[in-house]
Amino acid sequence: MDPRNRPLLRRRLGAFKVMTWSLVALLVIIYAWLQLVRHSEFKQLAMQQAVKVRPIPAPRGLVLDRNGNRLVDNRRALHLVVQREDLPTKPEVVTALAEALELDPPALARKIQSYRLAGKGRPLVLKENLDEAGIALAERVRARFPFLSVEVAPRRVYLGDELAGHVLGYVGEVDELMMKAKPDLYRLGETIGKEGFEASGNDKLKGTDGQKRILVDQLGTEVANFGQNDAITGRSLFLTLDAGLQKVAQDAMGEEAGAVVVLDLRDGGVLAMYSSPSYDPNLFLNRLSQDMVDRYLANNVTRPMVNRAIQGIYAPGSTFKLLVALAALEKGVVTPQTVIYCAGKKNFYGRDFRCDKPTGHGGLSMVQAIAQSCDVYFYELASRMDIDDIYATAEKYGLTERTGIDLPQEKRTRIPSRAWKRKTYPKDPKWYGGETISVGIGQGAVGVTPLGLARFYALLATRGKLITPHLFYGFRSDQTNSVEPAPVPSTKDTPLDPNAWSVLDEGLHEVVQSGTASTNPFVREIAKQTPFSGKTGTAQVATFVDKAHYARQAKKLKDHALFAGYAPREHPQIAFVVVVENAGFGSTSAAPVAAKLVKYWCLDRLSNPLPPPRGKMVDPFAPQQTEAPE
Amino acid sequence: MRERFRALDPRLLWVLLALIALGTLTLYSAGRNTPQAGIWLKQTLWNLLGSILMLMLATTDPRRIFRYSFASYLLGLVALAAVLVVGKKIGGATRWFIIAGQTFQPSELMKWVTLLYVSHRLGSRNADTVGRLELFGAVGLVVFPMLLIQRQPDLGMALSFLPILLIIPLMKGLRTSWVVALLLFIGVGGFGAWKFVLKPYQKQRVMIFLDPSADLQGKGYQVNQSRIAIGSGGLIGKGFTSGSQTQLNFLPVKTTDFAFSVWAEERGFLGVLLALGLFGLLLSRILDAARAAHTNAEAYFCAGAAGIFALHLLVNVGMVAGALPNKGMVLPFFSAGGSSTLSFFLALGVIMGILHRSRVK
Repeated sequence: MDPRNRPLLRRRLGAFKVMTWSLVALLVIIYAWLQLVRHSEFKQLAMQQAVKVRPIPAPRGLVLDRNGNRLVDNRRALHLVVQREDLPTKPEVVTALAEALELDPPALARKIQSYRLAGKGRPLVLKENLDEAGIALAERVRARFPFLSVEVAPRRVYLGDELAGHVLGYVGEVDELMMKAKPDLYRLGETIGKEGFEASGNDKLKGTDGQKRILVDQLGTEVANFGQNDAITGRSLFLTLDAGLQKVAQDAMGEEAGAVVVLDLRDGGVLAMYSSPSYDPNLFLNRLSQDMVDRYLANNVTRPMVNRAIQGIYAPGSTFKLLVALAALEKGVVTPQTVIYCAGKKNFYGRDFRCDKPTGHGGLSMVQAIAQSCDVYFYELASRMDIDDIYATAEKYGLTERTGIDLPQEKRTRIPSRAWKRKTYPKDPKWYGGETISVGIGQGAVGVTPLGLARFYALLATRGKLITPHLFYGFRSDQTNSVEPAPVPSTKDTPLDPNAWSVLDEGLHEVVQSGTASTNPFVREIAKQTPFSGKTGTAQVATFVDKAHYARQAKKLKDHALFAGYAPREHPQIAFVVVVENAGFGSTSAAPVAAKLVKYWCLDRLSNPLPPPRGKMVDPFAPQQTEAPE
Repeated sequence: MRERFRALDPRLLWVLLALIALGTLTLYSAGRNTPQAGIWLKQTLWNLLGSILMLMLATTDPRRIFRYSFASYLLGLVALAAVLVVGKKIGGATRWFIIAGQTFQPSELMKWVTLLYVSHRLGSRNADTVGRLELFGAVGLVVFPMLLIQRQPDLGMALSFLPILLIIPLMKGLRTSWVVALLLFIGVGGFGAWKFVLKPYQKQRVMIFLDPSADLQGKGYQVNQSRIAIGSGGLIGKGFTSGSQTQLNFLPVKTTDFAFSVWAEERGFLGVLLALGLFGLLLSRILDAARAAHTNAEAYFCAGAAGIFALHLLVNVGMVAGALPNKGMVLPFFSAGGSSTLSFFLALGVIMGILHRSRVK
């Protein structure tokens, strides 16, 4: 039958046609709903995933020494990161990611969680400072986890390695404790100074992060840049350090533990500050690399993280005798001419106090007592005074306070007093006369930081000027591109009595010329070329029966050797303190270190300056800044 | 030769050319800046080859074509069985033969061959007296290749055979009870399929359809990105080659399943109206051919063809908008692909032949 004569077929085909157009109409309605009614909502979503606002990390300012030698530089580093909005949520993804990157899964999960809660900001760094192998790994891992990206960011490089680890400190990611303490000051993922000058100068050194609006594709790769606020580099700062002198201090200390401080007598600028053993700040830039843990934290017997120059408390030993002498002269219990007889020991309060020379020095004036470092002479001085007299003198010249150096966590020099004893030992608050006798030779309750001691010798060198040690020397001005000097911290002048001063100065001169320090040939040789002044010190760590017993003792129980002084004798320029731990006598180990400092500063520096650390290191990524020192 | 071109129905031809133009532009934009940059050119070659085949079929007497339908059907079954044994496995499915470096999907063509043979069988019977057995037989002829295809597995393709059954309501004597039986069959079959036939990933797709936000990074991610593309296109679109979703690769499989989203994003609602209007005209013209056909078989073929085209339209355009489950079904003349393109042209060739014969006699 011809289908054209079948009414049913024709009717139903007609119905099909209606259904067809109904279908088209239905689809049109669906698309009208999506494209017209909900358009703005979807437009928003499309924008959100394609247009991103990303922070541009700002480089920190450089750190240079007073002569313009770079101590801290920046270079470009690649990091494997996750942007905040791309942080993975699924636990299995986080675990797989941690395994792929050899990270600890629970730690990574915690980190991701805290970054997610923190909202917008710097991306989470998973692997930092990628080397070639790291970049290859990052590319492999990115294929599996497309939300990862590689970010270019500035990274610190400490050019001298261990040269000035404690002074410079290092930077790191702001940690949760700091975040909690000052939530409006720090932001998660931000890099801040953690130790040393990086920490104390953080506000000056840190730049201002920029921002850019970019178009990204599905893999998060930047396709186009819609404009940006450039990051503002932090200020480049100059330190008072002299890199050459610092290098001399480092070399002179060698493997010995201890500290070296050299101060500029004009204004208190720190010319050298070296704490031994030092550390290499470069190793602390990576989040707890195993290498760093092994070298510095696990091996904590030598306590390399302590800046001994400002945090080490040492018995000053004989270097303290100058303060005792000053107090005695001011109190009037002796005159410079008073002769006191040393028989090798003397009894006070029913107990024998021995002199370092068992056979005795015989009759001594003050200059001779200082030069020979006679203990009995200073026992006698102490016995004629109260401990509070010694304290009062220290307080008068401002030596009982912190020096106020611009480094974090400076410890305070401890000069005992009756009030101090009451406060510190409530169970035994009484001050005994015998304790004063010990303080007379810098033992007992007295404890100083090398920097605090150096400040005292600076005071002696300047006849009463109390300087404030500092590191901040100047900064590069943005306007003139020249070096602007930093404000010099205040000094306090409490002039010493000229007669008293000349006795002390003479004594210190004699120490080097004919006294305890003159036994060392190197010290003698340098002193011949550049007369300088100083005082040896030996700080007891333990008590020994006799010299044979002492010789058998383990190294760590040996006495600390000290040498404190100033140079040159006429018109002094620098004050210095050297502490060599467990080295024995000050004359044999600390004085030669000081002599090397004097040799460099007064003799070598101008004619034959040492090259800056690492020579002229050329860094291809270094920013285009060539600061010329004044 | 001029005579031969006369065989092409002008109204169908213009609609077809317009759709091809739209599809080619879409593929050009979708392939831009990707490894598939040349895909529009490749698709143009398929379109040209398809047009030649269409021309050949249009100038052939449909009755001669129907005569070969049984042999073609058997050959198709052999091919479907063979692909399960020697076919190439891509992405967990064995659907393709590799011929001269090109993948060829026999199920695409089998859909039309099945339609051809079922139309031929039912058309040769008297529509008023066609028996139940005959109808069940026809259903069996459709379901058997579907089962073979589901073995590959390829649910979308298998389902695209169902419009062939639209022929049945065109028979006289079809009572309401038959329609109920058919619906029951689909219902029970659907349940059985869910229970025993469907693979886990297929079930997952259905689940995602029911709750698209459950798995945004997985299969739901594709549809979600597609909806963003379509919706953000707005009334006039973002402009040719300027769709952010397309050009920044947020839109997945944009040269095949989600090609229409590219069009919708870049040409907007007006572009969608144009494309859907053209598809409506295409379907309309095919149904016109069914009414003008000289034999029952020809009428049935055209009706079934309209159904198959309509299903592709509904499922693909609905799917990319998130209104239907994510089922891999291509959109004719938009989605890139050799087998499907050639098959659509072949079907249109037969329809044009039918229209041509209805005009000349």
